[in-house]
This record gives sequence, structure tokens and C-alpha cells, in this order.
Amino acid sequence: MAKPGTEAAPDIDVENKLKEAFARGWQVIVWNDPINLMDYVVYVFKTVLKMDEAEASKHMWEVHQKGKSSVALETREKSEMLVHRLRGFGLNATMEQAR
Amino acid sequence: MTTEQIDPENWRLTFPEHEAAFIINVLARLGRQYQEDPKEMSPGLRAFWDGNITKGTAANPKELGELADAQQLLVEARTELRSQRLNLVENWIQEYELAETRDPWQVEVSSAERDELIAMLNDRRLLLAFHIGVTESDMEKDPSHIPDEARRHAILEIDVLGHFILVMLGPQIHRP
Repeated sequence: MAKPGTEAAPDIDVENKLKEAFARGWQVIVWNDPINLMDYVVYVFKTVLKMDEAEASKHMWEVHQKGKSSVALETREKSEMLVHRLRGFGLNATMEQAR
Repeated sequence: MTTEQIDPENWRLTFPEHEAAFIINVLARLGRQYQEDPKEMSPGLRAFWDGNITKGTAANPKELGELADAQQLLVEARTELRSQRLNLVENWIQEYELAETRDPWQVEVSSAERDELIAMLNDRRLLLAFHIGVTESDMEKDPSHIPDEARRHAILEIDVLGHFILVMLGPQIHRP
């Protein structure tokens, strides 16, 4: 055990990197496709992402009109889980680190 | 088909005889697709089932490594999903085979079971679309005007399954 006053200084670099990683996070992106129905996409957003009707509809329209929508910003693990669940419902979901 | 919410967590689905037979036929085909060995799949179908964890370009080697790990986990999760859904398909078919009455065929399911049925019917739509290469404009056409018979049947099935999905979602659709 280190004597009082001789503890190792916190690794500022590691702390900064951790802060940066959490601040950047990972975006979950849903891409447009010709098959999934609009109401179905709204239902999946409500079920998986716990969005309310208005927010789910807003993202569904963004997917439809712009080709994609960023539907969540989470830690890597949470984003992975969301991608798995969205893909389980047949949506074309991917993730990328926020820039 | 009609759908009725019995209580907050349970639903009753009622199918006329011909719709029940159609759904069971779809599930049987889906079951065969779920149990297809990935090694036997075409590269395109394999890619469809594996999925891509990202479309972006990793900015650094660490991010690249994390995405490679995440891709591997996605492939494993998708393999497991197919196995779970194969079991569900078998349960649905068994339920149908054991039913005393099939006209109409009535099934009581939990919300989770209903969600899985919806997702599986959507899997079938996506697989049909994958096999025939459906585009946005195909989906806007009147299927009866599509000259190629196999393509016309596939698009009709995609449409009909979409109808079933919307009926099941009916109570949850609140379009302004």
C-alpha cells in the first residue's frame, strides 16, 4: 500500500480519453429500405428505442426522406445492443462513433 | 384476420381458415430459411443474414478494432436469432396442428410473442425482396401489372404480409 502523500497521481491522459469517449459516444443509424412499412418502422422505434409517437414518426420520416436517421447516441455496448435489436426487427441499422 | 387486446400483456389473434393456412405455409417456408446452413448460403444471402455493424469509415485503429469485435458479435447474435425464431416457427405450426378448430383459428399470445410473429412475417417480406431484388419503384407498382410471374407472386406476398402486420399493429397505430 502506498504511504499517505505518495499515491500515484491519477492518469490524466486516461481520464481525458475516457471523458472524450463518453462525450463522443456511438451513433445508431437507421437506413432507408424499400420494404419496411412506415407504420412498422414507427412501431419498432417505439418498441426498441422507447420513443413516443411524435419522436418515432419524426425519425421514420427522416429515414424515408433523407435516407437515414441517427436514432440514438449511446455507449458502444448500448449501441451494439440497439443495433442487434433493430436488426432483429428487420431494420437496416448500423453504428458509428460520433465525430 | 382480427386482433384484439385481451389485457395489457395479452392478445387474441383470429384467422379465417384460408388466412390461417396461408400464415402457416409462410411460417413453414420461413422455418426452412431459418435452418439453412450459412455455409450453403449464397454470399449475398449470407451477407443479408450476417448484417453490417457499420457503414462508416473507422477514424483510427482502435475504433477499427472495436468495430471488428462488434461485427463478430452481430454475426453471432444473428445466428442465435435464427435459431430462436426456428423454435418459434415450430411452436406456431404445432399450435396450428393441435388446434381443435381452424375456422376460425384463434390464438392467444403475449405481447412478446405477438412482436416476434410480426418480426418473423417481416423477415419473410425482407427475404422475398432480397431474392427478387425489389426496388422502391417495384413497391409502388400495381403488382398485377408485373409481367414476370415469380416476381409478381413475391411482391403480392410481400403486400399481403404487410397487410397482416398492419392489422396486428392496428391498435398501436395513432397516425395524426
